[in-house]
Amino acid sequence: MKKIHITNDSVKTVLYPLVFGIILVVLWQTQVLHRLLGADTFTLPLPSRIGSIIADNFGVIMLNVKATVFVALSGLLLGSLFGFILAAIAALSPHWGMGGLTIATAFNAVPIVAVAPIFTNLTKDFSSDPNVRSMFAKTLVVMITCTVSMGINAYRGFTELKPFSLDLMKSYAAGKWTAFFKLRLPNCVPYIFTALRISVPGCVISAMVSEYFAEYIVGVGRQIRESIVLAQYSTAWAYIVVACLVGVGMYVILLFFEHLLLKGRRIK
Amino acid sequence: MADTFISTRPDTNTSETVPEGQTAKTQIVIKNLSVTYKDDGTRGVTAALQDVNLEIRKGEFISLVGPSGCGKTTLLRVIADLIPSTAGDVFISGLTPREARLEKRFGIVFQNPVLMDWRTIRRNVCLPLELLKMPKPLRTKKVTEMLDLVGLQEFGHHYPCELSGGMQQRVGIARALAIDPKILLMDEPFSALDEFTKEKLHEDLLRIWRQTNKTVVFVTHNIQEAVFLSDRVVVFSPHPGRVTSVVNITLPRPRTAGMKNTVDFTELVAKVRSGFVGV
Amino acid sequence: MQREMKKPVWEKIAASPRTVTVVWVIGLVLVWEAGAFAVEAVKRTPENVLPHLYQILASVFSTKKVTASQTAVQIVIINACVTLGRAGIGFVIGAAAGYVLALCMRLSGAVEKTVFPYLMLVQMIPILGMAPIVLAVTRDIDKSRVIIAAILTFYPVAVNTLAGFKSIEKEKFELFHSYAATTPQIYVKMMIPASVPYLFTGLKISAPMAVTASILVDTLQGGGGLGCMLSQSLKHAMSIYVFWQIVFFSAFVGILSYYGIVLLERIVSPGRRNQTRNAGGAK
Repeated sequence: MKKIHITNDSVKTVLYPLVFGIILVVLWQTQVLHRLLGADTFTLPLPSRIGSIIADNFGVIMLNVKATVFVALSGLLLGSLFGFILAAIAALSPHWGMGGLTIATAFNAVPIVAVAPIFTNLTKDFSSDPNVRSMFAKTLVVMITCTVSMGINAYRGFTELKPFSLDLMKSYAAGKWTAFFKLRLPNCVPYIFTALRISVPGCVISAMVSEYFAEYIVGVGRQIRESIVLAQYSTAWAYIVVACLVGVGMYVILLFFEHLLLKGRRIK
Repeated sequence: MADTFISTRPDTNTSETVPEGQTAKTQIVIKNLSVTYKDDGTRGVTAALQDVNLEIRKGEFISLVGPSGCGKTTLLRVIADLIPSTAGDVFISGLTPREARLEKRFGIVFQNPVLMDWRTIRRNVCLPLELLKMPKPLRTKKVTEMLDLVGLQEFGHHYPCELSGGMQQRVGIARALAIDPKILLMDEPFSALDEFTKEKLHEDLLRIWRQTNKTVVFVTHNIQEAVFLSDRVVVFSPHPGRVTSVVNITLPRPRTAGMKNTVDFTELVAKVRSGFVGV
Repeated sequence: MQREMKKPVWEKIAASPRTVTVVWVIGLVLVWEAGAFAVEAVKRTPENVLPHLYQILASVFSTKKVTASQTAVQIVIINACVTLGRAGIGFVIGAAAGYVLALCMRLSGAVEKTVFPYLMLVQMIPILGMAPIVLAVTRDIDKSRVIIAAILTFYPVAVNTLAGFKSIEKEKFELFHSYAATTPQIYVKMMIPASVPYLFTGLKISAPMAVTASILVDTLQGGGGLGCMLSQSLKHAMSIYVFWQIVFFSAFVGILSYYGIVLLERIVSPGRRNQTRNAGGAK
């Protein structure tokens, strides 16, 4: 471990945002923020109230968090895998594979709001248990974003090679598959992380939005909506805070893995 | 009108006092110059330049030659007021580098042309004149003049991405000369170009130099290039960066490509080469 | 030695990239239709799940009225204008705010240090998921549409512009330094024009997102707009074909908005060719 050189500059980097954040929370708690925005404590509850609601309902909240995270992660894994395979096919036989990738990108253009209900309807017969049905539909929706993100970036990773590296492989009489495993695949790793940087926050968002349209009422996103419909704003905010924590948490885990696996290599 | 505009800057030969011990023709005086860098994180100190003494005459074409890390670029940058010196003095016609820069005495040409790719060629050359707040009709006239000088008249309305490397570098030279600087500072301007383009640009540069009578300080790592172009070649050696030799180039002017095959040329190249220490 | 000069025509067609896309599209259409047939065999009202493409197409041209006064197509178009108009306003506001923030961050190191982690935070938290709460706080569907579209545009524009500022080569600064240029001159004549391609990258990412956000907010409450029609159609308050038309229309608009920005870029920056820069993106 290199010794961390503490300079004036790095202190400022941590201090300024921290101070800013604390000021923000203080303004919120003391209701100065409310006056600025023209809101009331009913729709914008005090942090202390939000905190107490989270503490009181921890069990229920965790249940919903688990549901959302499950959907997000399964969509992420399956979608990324699918996207990765599509990219590999496109890289190995560029002529026909590119078309597949383009179509997948086109799918991405359809807003979640339209895709989610379609999948919900399509999967109505998947299982007799509404919870399972909904999970399936939601996972499919999340998969789309992740597939496209991983597909495009993995394709770049397979094809954006340093000049002459393919020629180098040829000079060793390496076949297409050898070149794939020894050159393209390792080259692809930073690009995979570029894709993940987009799809990890993206899968959480997609999971939450797809919950709105699902049959079974579970999940952080849905609970936000339901709470607002019932005018229970404090609960809604509690779920929002939790959603933010989930999003941040997953991203931090991603950064950790990135640091571990990409030692010294730069993000592309 | 053009003359009155440019002559608002003081003329080198008349309005300033010439420092003691130097002839009126000396333009740049470098005395005991040292530049050291403190390394971040370690407690090491790198001597980029150590105790350099040099006098550059007005209208001279002088080359600074050496391998990487020997301080030649550092010296150029100190003159240009791009980096500060740690010890010693630099005077340009009696002014410090900062004052000379503020008086717009320099034109700089970098290794890569540094053109603004959202501007046409004409507007790129026009840039320093805009910064100088020159009135528009004067600007237009000056830009046309500069483009003629470097031979790019037909390309005025093209964009940099449409030009070859050599042509882009010519635009860089045109731009550097647009404000009519007394001194042209060139930092390895042709290293990124191929041999044929380089030869052509050497000819062009020498022609421009003859026509405009500027002082040229030319940094390069190519010994032949330095010998071919210059009146004097200053040899730098690394660790620490310092001047180890100054060679007078006695070849007649105007220089022609044929001179590169003469014995005199080869001897001068050898003389420069032998001036390196520890390389 | 005479070489064979002409390839058979069909070989040339097979080799062209257009053919590939056409084949894929046909393939997809076939898969869709197969699905539609399968669904038809099983369901009473197959059009709720997966209608035939020709049925959707027919509904576009039909003049049957699906509500008291409007045909399906009319509903889609009128509400589209509403939704897209608001998305557009939010987009412009968000882009302007994002650019100004990036500028401020570049101007002041203190601002940059303070704001940067929060910028990162904005990327990590599910903004779209917070749509309902924005609506509740502002109590105005129009304002919340604009606000959400603005927030979603804000992040990619700010991040990409910042990356643009950071990627300006050192020599450009040195050039301006050698001309003793003033700070305003440096910003106006060099930094702002240099950041334009990055600005457009940000805009390309956020244009479809702004549209999506606007539609989503529509679904939360009445008051017109594509999303509202979408959810009403789903609940069978009107023909389900309105829903399907909106699906295709929104995909179309999403793609169109991207190409619209590309076109804008060509107009604004004629001197730049084929430059792609990547600093990040999100859906």
